[in-house]
Amino acid sequence: MRRGNRNGRTQRRITTRTALCILLASWGSSAAAQTQPARPPVRRPVAAPPGTGVRVRAFGEAGIRRFAAAQTFDAVLGSSIGPLFGGGVDVLWGRHLSVELGISRYRGSGERVFVSGGEVFPLGIPASVTVMPIAATVSYRFAQPGSQTIPFIGGGINWHRLTETSDFAETGDDVSSTFTGFHLQGGAEWRLTRHVGIAGVGRWSTVPDALGTEPSSAATAFGEHNLGGFDATVRIVIGRR
Amino acid sequence: MALLACVVGILGITAVAQSPREVAGRLIGDYLLPPIDRGLRDVDPPRPPRRSASRYLPGSVVVKFRSGTSAGVRRSLTTMVRGDMVAPLSNADFDVMRLQTGDDAESVARRLSAQPDVEYAQARYLARPLFTPNDPLYRLQWNFPAIDMERAWDVNPGATAAITVAILDSGVAYRSAVLRQTAGPWRREDGVLMPALGTIDIPFAAAPDLAGPDRFVSPRDFIWDDVLPLDFDGHGTHVAGTVGQLTNNSLGGAGMAFNVKIMPVKVVDSEWDEAFNSPYVGTDDLIARGIRYATDNGAKVINMSIGRSGPPAPVIEAAIRYAVSRGAFVAQAGGNQFGSGETERYAEFAPAIDGMVAVGAVGPTRQHASYSSVGPFIELVAPGGDFAVRSPADARDGVLQQTLDLDLVETWAGSVAQYRAPRFDSFAYYYFTGTSMAAPHVSGFAALLMQQGITSPAAIEAIMKQFATDLGPPGRDDQYGYGLINPRASLRGMGLAK
Repeated sequence: MRRGNRNGRTQRRITTRTALCILLASWGSSAAAQTQPARPPVRRPVAAPPGTGVRVRAFGEAGIRRFAAAQTFDAVLGSSIGPLFGGGVDVLWGRHLSVELGISRYRGSGERVFVSGGEVFPLGIPASVTVMPIAATVSYRFAQPGSQTIPFIGGGINWHRLTETSDFAETGDDVSSTFTGFHLQGGAEWRLTRHVGIAGVGRWSTVPDALGTEPSSAATAFGEHNLGGFDATVRIVIGRR
Repeated sequence: MALLACVVGILGITAVAQSPREVAGRLIGDYLLPPIDRGLRDVDPPRPPRRSASRYLPGSVVVKFRSGTSAGVRRSLTTMVRGDMVAPLSNADFDVMRLQTGDDAESVARRLSAQPDVEYAQARYLARPLFTPNDPLYRLQWNFPAIDMERAWDVNPGATAAITVAILDSGVAYRSAVLRQTAGPWRREDGVLMPALGTIDIPFAAAPDLAGPDRFVSPRDFIWDDVLPLDFDGHGTHVAGTVGQLTNNSLGGAGMAFNVKIMPVKVVDSEWDEAFNSPYVGTDDLIARGIRYATDNGAKVINMSIGRSGPPAPVIEAAIRYAVSRGAFVAQAGGNQFGSGETERYAEFAPAIDGMVAVGAVGPTRQHASYSSVGPFIELVAPGGDFAVRSPADARDGVLQQTLDLDLVETWAGSVAQYRAPRFDSFAYYYFTGTSMAAPHVSGFAALLMQQGITSPAAIEAIMKQFATDLGPPGRDDQYGYGLINPRASLRGMGLAK
């Protein structure tokens, strides 16, 4: 108990706001935070030592996804890269194990097309697509006592909810289906304060056979079947390390 | 007179460019049809394809509170979604709630629907007209519902005047005129000698359900080598009607791409051309020139409801390759030689040309038409009608369009005693059958696809094949090719997943 309290006094001398600014300005350089001017020590409530017990945390994240079906997304939505927003909870067991459940959302709009010989002909019929991945991930955290940087790697199962709507659609024309896939992820978390961290996460996911099963799918024309892709997100974590 | 001078002036300019024969010798004046009430059609501008941005009206939702819900609860629910009620509406047992800018109507409707005091809530979804032409004879045009045209017209209502379809045929009843012709003696196909009629003035008029302001462009007659491709037969006018009969004008019937411009190019002769001793007849070389003319003068689609058996036609193939290479799509009738088994020579090379389609015919039951040629060159089928589908035969199984009144045109068809000068200024609706009637369905379809954004002839052929409704044995076959054209599915094209 005493050791944890002492660590809190000596290593968390900067405010959340200051740390956020510093970290966003110099991504990945957590050492810079150590050079901030010292402040008088603040007495904090007694808490469990970091890296022990079960801790439940919440996170919100924002980033981008590059879809594996790049030609298909590029043809219909104008880009194979789009913004991704989400959040979730993770549960830490001890120092190294994390289980997280997250949900995110991508939404794009474009128009229906025809693809012939690799050439894309936009048809002027508005279409919108929503991809909502729900991911359950088990991660190993390389947490070291006293270190503010915690790299992690993990993997898990995901469920991608795909919704596609377009003008002039009738019964059975629109799409609303869920597909199962797998993913691997890695990244690093930096502690900003005792209860706030920021993480950079890269995730590769595969969702096979979700696209390209219909003749009226641009994915069929391109021979692309995977709804997965690569996500790069920044995550704000609320909770103890 | 000013109009006549203008027409002659225009013809003169074209004559210099194309070197056609002077028409003044034949054209002796305009002849006007008796007045026909054509409604507002002539002032109906071409409609662009519909490109709506949203399926519902943003900024408001429809909500129905359960009966007995107090005003206070209503207010609190309204406040919950940051909305405010509009004044009560007449003829409505529901309310409309205005939303804050940026609030998604569907999301708000879902939130409201989840409340126990709300019976239902929904976004204000936009309804669209399900287009059914109001043309009184449309109910007899089984050929359009057979290929789901009503839903296709919802997606693309008839293309626009930006697309020109060339009709390479017996001419088109595209304008009023009086021609002075000399009918000498000639021999009918059955060997009967038809007597001379001497010099006669023959009235012509534009088909009322086809003509409109600026409807026709770059007319050209290769049979008379001038720029007056008037129809002496009725075939070309019927074909042009299937492509672009004026539609939703409360008159007659409908056409596939009813807003396009039509380029009449006369390349085949009829009995009256022979009787009037036209300088040319419809030979391969002349038709090839017609194809090149249409291409060079801006046709995006070329309809060829003409053809022949016999030896191959390399000059036609070369001309079609020329047309396709310059961005024109070609629809070619697949031939009516099922009985003889002969190959349609103008169609046989279609599989080798991406951007040209050879079209077979189906009857009203969507079965192979009894006359429609079969072979490896048939790529698609479209409605061509079939009088043999029922016994006794029923004329309504043909394809209905307006054309010349054949009672006044085919005066040569009866006894010699009944033979007299024709009139080409009277019109009626006729049921015709043949792959000649199937091909213009594909031409009109191609015009809709071009308007929708598919500008490459090869891509047009590809999308037609890809979305065709497979008939007969699974996959491509010699009777139906890749299947029956499916305009609605093709016009919607491809989404991400479906």
